[in-house]
Parts: sequence; structure tokens; C-alpha cells
Amino acid sequence: MAVLITACRNNNPAVDKSLQPNMPKVDSNNPTLLKINNQIFSIPSPIQTAMLIKKSGFPYNKEMLNSSDNYSKYDTKFKKALNLGIYGADLGYISLYDQTQDALSYLASIEKLATDVGVSDMFNATLVKRFQNNMGKQDSLLAMVSEAFRRSDAYFKDNKQNDISSLVLVGGWIESLYFAVQANNSGKINAKEVVTRIAEQKISLQNLVKMLQPYSDRPEYAKLSKDLSTLADTFENVEFVYNYVPPTVDAKNKVTSINSTSTVQISPELLKQITDKIAAIRNQIAG
Amino acid sequence: MKKITILFTLLCGLMLSGLSVSAQCDSIASACAKRNMDPSFISDGQQYRALLVNSDETAEFHVTFYGGTLYRLAACSGMTDGNLIFTIYDSQRNQLFTSSQYQNAPYWDFSVKSTVDCIIDAQLNPTTNGGSGCAVILLGFKQQ
Repeated sequence: MAVLITACRNNNPAVDKSLQPNMPKVDSNNPTLLKINNQIFSIPSPIQTAMLIKKSGFPYNKEMLNSSDNYSKYDTKFKKALNLGIYGADLGYISLYDQTQDALSYLASIEKLATDVGVSDMFNATLVKRFQNNMGKQDSLLAMVSEAFRRSDAYFKDNKQNDISSLVLVGGWIESLYFAVQANNSGKINAKEVVTRIAEQKISLQNLVKMLQPYSDRPEYAKLSKDLSTLADTFENVEFVYNYVPPTVDAKNKVTSINSTSTVQISPELLKQITDKIAAIRNQIAG
Repeated sequence: MKKITILFTLLCGLMLSGLSVSAQCDSIASACAKRNMDPSFISDGQQYRALLVNSDETAEFHVTFYGGTLYRLAACSGMTDGNLIFTIYDSQRNQLFTSSQYQNAPYWDFSVKSTVDCIIDAQLNPTTNGGSGCAVILLGFKQQ
């Protein structure tokens, strides 16, 4: 039996519909379209999924994280970059639950991996000090972690290391999906929104596979691409139904409400397959 | 000897122009974040950039917006606002927003009710930019 999940909420009904703009359809075959390596894809922040998990009622679970002691096991730049992404997602999760000591421990491991992949400036002693000074201020901590990762992303792109940038994003995405499937398996949460979020990863996963494609001539990347492609094949059975609804605009406050609705359908069997596959991929990377 | 000198100069020029573009993009991104990204929005941890040769070219960015989230999108090219026009489409190419209808606003917020996959097209503003430029898009979010 398929589980039907509707992700439709209306939190801002007071917008001025008279300001709705004229929305023409456009020609998708734009001849002047410039694609930079065909790979400008956004991967959603792992913190967004961690926020959803916390909101669903899932209690703090340190056992779910990649141990902060594992950093010393990662002996190649490939593994270090992937696990930098994983630790980044872990740190975001920990910060959401105000776990001070764990946060410092993970930040120390991140600092070591960041140094090894060339972004020590973004995770230096100054950041650690700022982090310590802002303990308990959840928003500030999340902003600091995210900003440090954005600056790292910029550094990799500045230095033509898009391959490393991609690995960090892949690591963070894998860990956040791993959180979601673990939370769902726990039976301790309001699972509907979490299952929806798991199913919604279909497009992000396709984007990740495309991001890794240019590097698939290297054995480590090829193996990772193959694993993710296999997972993407499983995700192909997730049904995503999108219904366009015209947006509304509050020009005064510079806010557009995107009113389109979407639903996803995922069977329990499919969810189980995805859970098993993501756990296997994640545990292989984290070691 | 003269040929070697010319070749060396050309190579240095190419290398420096590459570095200059990267540095230019990074400076634009930093300034853009400072001017247009309110601290209450959490960065998605990425910096989207593309070098546009002229205002006829379009950079395309693929983004998933999650339901129940307020996003801020900041778009910059150069060190002043309004140099980059951005337009958002859904996966069916229905236009959801274009900054050109709002005085080329350098940032805009999007309240997303249901998860939607979007395409952001970015173009240099032909009235403020005659040549090439680095297009930078930044994305921040907060739960609603």
C-alpha cells in the first residue's frame, strides 16, 4: 500500500493577491543559455533536515553521529572531504540540541580535516573562540557553521577544486538523509514530515550524481557515483506530483509566496530499501 | 627570446585574469552577503557563481525549495546593487518571480508552502553593465 504524503501548508494567507504579477510561460529552449560545466546545482543544507527532525520530536542521539574520533582514520583527501561534510552536518545537528561539549569536540575534528583539505582559515582558532562565546545561542552557532562552510565552498571554487567542494556537499547530504532515516526508524517521532523529506531527496540526489559526473574517471569518485546512482535508481520509484499555483507578491515587504503544491508517494517497502542503502553508503564513508 | 617573453607574458596574463575573476567573484559574494543577506537567515553553505560574458548570456542555477521555509535569495554582480537580474521558474518553466518587475531588487524573500524544484536564471543588467561580470547568487533560509 502506498503512503500518500501531502506537503502543503498555508502560513501566510494575508498577502495581497491584487499584487499578483503577470506570469508568462517562457521558451525553455533559450539559445543564449549559458551553463557553466552544466553543473550549477544547489544541494539543500543538512541543517534544514536536522531542524525538521528536531521539530518532529526526535530526541538528541549522539550514537547516530559519526564519532568525532574517527577523523584520524581518513587518510586521503577524498575521504577527508567527504567526512568534513559529514562532520559539518553533525555539528549542525549538535548545535540545534545545544550540546556544548559535543559541539566543541566535533569542531576540533572539523578543524583537523579542514586543515588537511586546505581550508584551515575557515575553521581556525578564531571560529572556535567565537563558537565558545556563543554557546547557547543556537541561531548564532548555526549561522557561524553555515558561513564557515560557505566560505570553504568559495575557497574551493576560487582554487578550481570543484571536486572537493562536491565531496563536502555529498558528505553533508548523505549524513542528513541518514539522520532522517534513523529518526524515522526510531518510532519516536511524528514521522509524516520526515518521510516526506526523505522522499523529496529524489531531485537533490539526481543533482548530486550530476555534480560528480565530471570526476568519474577517478576510481574513488566512480565508486561513489555508482553507489549514489544505485540509490537514485531506487528513488526513481518515488512519485512526485507537482501542481502549479500562481504565486502572490507582497512587494512592500519584498516577499513572494510560492503557492504551488506538491505531493510525494513512497511505499513502506521503498522506504525500507532507501533506509538500508543510505545506511550502507554512509557507514562505508564514515568507516 | 622575444617569442618566449611574449609567450610568458601571455601566460602570466591568462593566469592573472583567472585569479582576478576568482577574486572578483569572492569580493562580490562577500559584499553581497553583507548588504543583502539578513543575519536571521542561515546560509545554505554554498556560493553559486558564473562568469557572464555579456548581458545576452544567462546563467542557470537549479535549486530545491523546501515547504514550510522562508528563503532569501541575494543576487549580485559588481560592488553595487541592481546589476544582476534574476528570474525564478518552476520545473515546468512557469515563471514564479522576476526581479526586473521590482526595480532589479538585489534580494527577495520566498515563502514556500510546498516543496518545489526551481530554476534560477541570472543575467547581467544591460543598462548598468556593458561588459562581462561575475554573477553571484546566495541563498539563506529560516523555518516558518
